[in-house]
Amino acid sequence: MSRMKFEISNLNLHYGNTRALKDVTIDLPGNSVTAFIGPSGCGKSTFLRCLNRMNDFIPRCRVEGRVLLDGTDIYAPGTDVITLRRRVGMVFQKPNPFPTSIFDNVAYGPRLHGTTDRESLERIVQQSLEGAALWDEVRDKLNTPALSLSGGQQQRLCIARAIAVQPEVLLMDEPTSALDPMSTARIEELVRELKTKYTVIIVTHNMQQAARISDLTAFFLLGEMVEAGPTQDIFTSPADRRTEDYITGRFG
Amino acid sequence: MTELNVRKTQDEALDRIREQLFKLGNLAQDAIRKAVWALEKQDETLSREVLDGDDVLDELASSIEEGCLLYTARYQPVAQDLRTISAINRMAIDLERIGDLGVSIAKITRFFFGKTLIKPLIDIPRMAGLVEEMIDGTLRAFLNRDVEEAKRVCAMDDMLDDLDRQIFNELLLLMIENPRVIEQATQLVLVSRALERAGDHTTNLAEKTIYMITGKQVKASEYRRKREE
Repeated sequence: MSRMKFEISNLNLHYGNTRALKDVTIDLPGNSVTAFIGPSGCGKSTFLRCLNRMNDFIPRCRVEGRVLLDGTDIYAPGTDVITLRRRVGMVFQKPNPFPTSIFDNVAYGPRLHGTTDRESLERIVQQSLEGAALWDEVRDKLNTPALSLSGGQQQRLCIARAIAVQPEVLLMDEPTSALDPMSTARIEELVRELKTKYTVIIVTHNMQQAARISDLTAFFLLGEMVEAGPTQDIFTSPADRRTEDYITGRFG
Repeated sequence: MTELNVRKTQDEALDRIREQLFKLGNLAQDAIRKAVWALEKQDETLSREVLDGDDVLDELASSIEEGCLLYTARYQPVAQDLRTISAINRMAIDLERIGDLGVSIAKITRFFFGKTLIKPLIDIPRMAGLVEEMIDGTLRAFLNRDVEEAKRVCAMDDMLDDLDRQIFNELLLLMIENPRVIEQATQLVLVSRALERAGDHTTNLAEKTIYMITGKQVKASEYRRKREE
């Protein structure tokens, strides 16, 4: 693990009158995989979305506290949110490719950010698809509709689309919960490779997945971050009773 | 409406394996106790019982190992559950070895049948009693999640080592005085050494118990008398 990519302190988030995150303080190291676990409604996805300001889209949502990305507060006035979201990409639970060709899906981001010449785009598309371990399966049908791909392939396409703009961080919100075991294994393998280049932060309901792929695990409960630490420690001897109860299936 | 216990099946499975471990512990204790009795009382039937009982012990140990694997595959245990199942798996191996040491002693007893003992047995039965007590202590520590009790078991191993050394010196003197006792005396040294080894396995049990409770890998020597060697 390298130095801290994100330094988050005293983060509070309110949806209207509901306080969804309570004083969350945690540092997330770069070039590593961090997993957020916790029961439904514990705030882990909400917290994930704070990291690239996706919560800005939610009405009556108020964020307090500090989120430093490489030392700079992403909630500071004047922050360029478009650039932020290029640096901090996101992959969602359900694969959501655009109803266009495979090529156009991956080229979408780079085009948006100003790359227009065909040669550069072709290079980026190939590199991204290779990076998402999908290239060999689609190289001969780049112009077919993305929606004709299988669920697992679509999810890898979304990862390719996310890395096409060369982000520094990849946020993944339950990226394998809609996939079969084989596709899940491929994505997990991919995540392990991605961390050499990116910082990966993943929300998962699959505890074994967190244990398998993450370096650091943080456990959330009722909007609080109860415990965070090396994954090995969390899954062999967690410090907090609530973490123990959750990961051993006693509640949640 | 009663609350649904989502862990019922998993907990029951772990309980079953735990019960088996306790049974194995009792069998290992029996093996040591009976083997040393057989030696003391020159009782051939008792010695035979220990030798015949070893298959049961081995089968139970295998069944525990299988149970641990199955439990791991089915429930993918973590945290406390993971440490417990891992501790049980390791403890079964040590208990099975203790049983084997009982068998070794039972085999040696056959050498003594119909012979007059070169000396009355005092320290060897004491050692056997200590081993039994140590196994008891570990199983109790395991059951009650009592770290202090497990530490006491580790400390008790010092007494076994002392007795083993004492027996060896004593027998050595006898052998020097009278070479005709060499045959019997060497066998008794082997018995004493087997009991000392059984004690070492018991401290392994205590170490695993401490790991299960605290999540910390410890060495039994931390709780033993410091000696200069």
